[in-house]
Amino acid sequence: MTPLDAADATTQFLWAHLWLGPFVEFGFMRSALLGCVALAVSAAPVGVFLMLRRMSLTGDAMAHAILPGAAIGYLVAGLSLGAMTFGGIVAGLAVAVGSGLVARNTVLREDTSLAAFYLLSLALGVLIVSVRGNSVDLLHVLFGTVLALDSAALTLLGSIALITLVSLRMLHRPLVLDCLDPGFLRGHSRWSPVAHYGFLALLVINLVAGFHALGTLMSVGMMVLPAATARFWVRHLSALLGLAVLFALLACVVGLLVSYHADWPTGPVIVLSLGSAYLFSLVFGPHGLLRHQRPQSLHLQA
Amino acid sequence: MFPTTRFPRRALLAFATLALTAWSAQAQAPIQAVASFSILGDLVRQVGGDRVQVHVLVGPGSDAHVFQPTPAQARLVGQAQVVFSNGLGFEGWMSRLLKTAGYKGQQVVVSQGIEPMKEAGHEEKKGHAHGAHDHGETDPHAWQSVGNAKVFVKNIAQGLCRADAAACDVYDRNARAYVAKLDALDREIRAAWAPIPVAQRKVITSHDAFGYYARDFSVKFLAPQGVSTESEASAKGVARLVRQIKQEQIKALFVERIADPRLIDQIGRETGVKPSGELFSDSLSAADGAAPTYIDMMRFNTRALTTAVRGE
Amino acid sequence: MQAHPAAASSPPAIALRNLTLGYEQHPAVHHLSITIDPGSLVAVVGPNGAGKSTLVKAMAGRLRPIQGRVEGLEHHRVAWLPQHSGIDRSFPMSVQELVMLGLWHEVGALGRFTPAHHASCHRALDAVGLLGFERRSIDTLSGGQMQRALFARLILQDAPVVLLDEPFAAVDQRTTDDLLALLHRWHVQGKTVVAVLHDLSQVRAHFPQTLLLAREPVAWGATGEVLTPAHWQRALRMQEPFDDDATLCAPASTHAHRHGVSA
Repeated sequence: MTPLDAADATTQFLWAHLWLGPFVEFGFMRSALLGCVALAVSAAPVGVFLMLRRMSLTGDAMAHAILPGAAIGYLVAGLSLGAMTFGGIVAGLAVAVGSGLVARNTVLREDTSLAAFYLLSLALGVLIVSVRGNSVDLLHVLFGTVLALDSAALTLLGSIALITLVSLRMLHRPLVLDCLDPGFLRGHSRWSPVAHYGFLALLVINLVAGFHALGTLMSVGMMVLPAATARFWVRHLSALLGLAVLFALLACVVGLLVSYHADWPTGPVIVLSLGSAYLFSLVFGPHGLLRHQRPQSLHLQA
Repeated sequence: MFPTTRFPRRALLAFATLALTAWSAQAQAPIQAVASFSILGDLVRQVGGDRVQVHVLVGPGSDAHVFQPTPAQARLVGQAQVVFSNGLGFEGWMSRLLKTAGYKGQQVVVSQGIEPMKEAGHEEKKGHAHGAHDHGETDPHAWQSVGNAKVFVKNIAQGLCRADAAACDVYDRNARAYVAKLDALDREIRAAWAPIPVAQRKVITSHDAFGYYARDFSVKFLAPQGVSTESEASAKGVARLVRQIKQEQIKALFVERIADPRLIDQIGRETGVKPSGELFSDSLSAADGAAPTYIDMMRFNTRALTTAVRGE
Repeated sequence: MQAHPAAASSPPAIALRNLTLGYEQHPAVHHLSITIDPGSLVAVVGPNGAGKSTLVKAMAGRLRPIQGRVEGLEHHRVAWLPQHSGIDRSFPMSVQELVMLGLWHEVGALGRFTPAHHASCHRALDAVGLLGFERRSIDTLSGGQMQRALFARLILQDAPVVLLDEPFAAVDQRTTDDLLALLHRWHVQGKTVVAVLHDLSQVRAHFPQTLLLAREPVAWGATGEVLTPAHWQRALRMQEPFDDDATLCAPASTHAHRHGVSA
């Protein structure tokens, strides 16, 4: 029995040819899965904190802010991983820091200053690409291709995941405190700006990682949707983090398989899987809609 | 009075006519001809030589499908003495242009007399976008067959003859010389393909422009299954293409305008087939490029194809 | 704020020297000079807008004086409970986790909580009557329970100086009584406690010293001598809104004789 026959036999079992087969047969599916796993593990926890800090829309705004950096990187060096990553990070950090400085030192609040910056950034990005590139290229910058991840891209995604996990571990307490009671944090240590800007930096690099795989529009989905979905099931912070990662991972696998079997574009299908989980949890989750409509008839004595 | 015998009068007439003809022949400006696209322009130049000034509408590198004539070009057409077009549905904009320019002169459709082919494998191209490249039933890329090019040349010579009867023998001479070159080209191409068994002559290209080449030289041109320019790639589409390449053992991948180059690289990594760059299908290159003339173009394509198929 | 090695148990004397605090040049506290002895239990009272919260904020180190300075607190930890705590009640956190944040001065951002820390937390929750609430999430707490939890956090902060801004504002009587008892325990332990309060009967019953502030200090000293009708009258004469047409305040020397505080 050759290895191929053995693989064939295994895949017939438990309909494994449906959910395991594609990954066994195709290298690009394995790469896509690996890339998605790295992204899920990295972006979902960032998304949880984003949600708790009430910055979910900030995530979307930052995704648009990154565009001109990536566009300039693309124009300078083509679809080069390094150039577009570097450009995106620079643009993202510039907008994050810039809007933060404006918010801290002028009369404008954080939301307005960020909106102003990201709109500027976005318009600049579209202008640059329209003048020097063409619309098909812009579409690819926006949509990415999770099916085209090569080893350099996977290394990048893996590194970003590692950096994110280590940083979140270190910043966990200051970050939590910065959300919970920022005055207390400011009074006790110098960690306040580190927590705030450090988190923004994590947001930027995760968005940049995301857009190589899923494009700018959808990498935010990988952050915001798992966190929101998890919120309908659990209350505690560590549980939120774990469940968000789990949902993200499941959605990636399901999305890849559906895209494979139904011949649908992969990026949108992954985000729609995330969205479906969200809708289901919204209605049926323990903290979702139905639970509040029907009060629990059973209650404890005390 | 002058002595008017018959001989001197006839001689005077003959001399005058000769002088007039000679004078008009020398002082005559070149014939203004318009060719619809660059490949045709080259053929017309080969036949017309110095006597014809050729204006090409769709220049090298431009796309005949989305061509928009400028007012200057319309004026050129109006002043031309003969307009050459491919026909077979290639120039959808031609009739409108001629009407706008008020052109009443001679129109030569160079593909008259060839044996047209149906558009390549409509049924196979499920995932392939028809979009701008839908010519209806007939494949218009007739020039990809050298035999057809010879017919083109004959039609061109006839057209020029009608526009400029005085230089007809010049055009005939040029045409014959060029046809000889085309014969040599045809033999060259067949010789290039000869060492490669027919079963191995398989190429994937996103542009279905090589039907006539395929027929003449027994090469199979396949459309990439499942991956197209317009839409986002799906995992199934990519899988289909990878399977197609592996199953048919295709070694040549020419997918210049397709989807995402990163995707093509990925497919290349998975199948071991490196994408082979571009082929010239609808136009020549710029004058300093790899395919400035028709013969250069066919040579370039053949070399690229045979090299890729041999797996080098 | 780094703890001075000797500061943990012995609070400093707090000297406010000619302290002027305010916003955009308008003074909220005008030329305050008093000294608070270590271990005092002080109430700060006065009409609305008298600058009481501003004063406490400055003592906590969060507001830079326009003029003058606060002495004695540079090397000591100060536990400050502001009036509006700014706590995000919807954050998914348990009471225990909230209270344990009071131990920041020992574990910092990265340190681990030891069993000793857990034991201290247990004792703090017991002291405020929240035993059994460890796992409850903070969004299920009532106003009184939240205030108790914040006091438990103050206990764990173990600072020699405690500043409280209207700590009993939205809290029921039983909680108020329990927390007042806690203040007394701190007083006995030797901590300096300064509390901004509105309820004068509370002040008379529990606080030996009082500062009556009406932007300018009106009276300072033993509660009985400060809280007199005459002093109150003077305090109520203070103008509440900022005066846009006010002239520049001349240097302190020319005002000293008018702003002398009664000891």
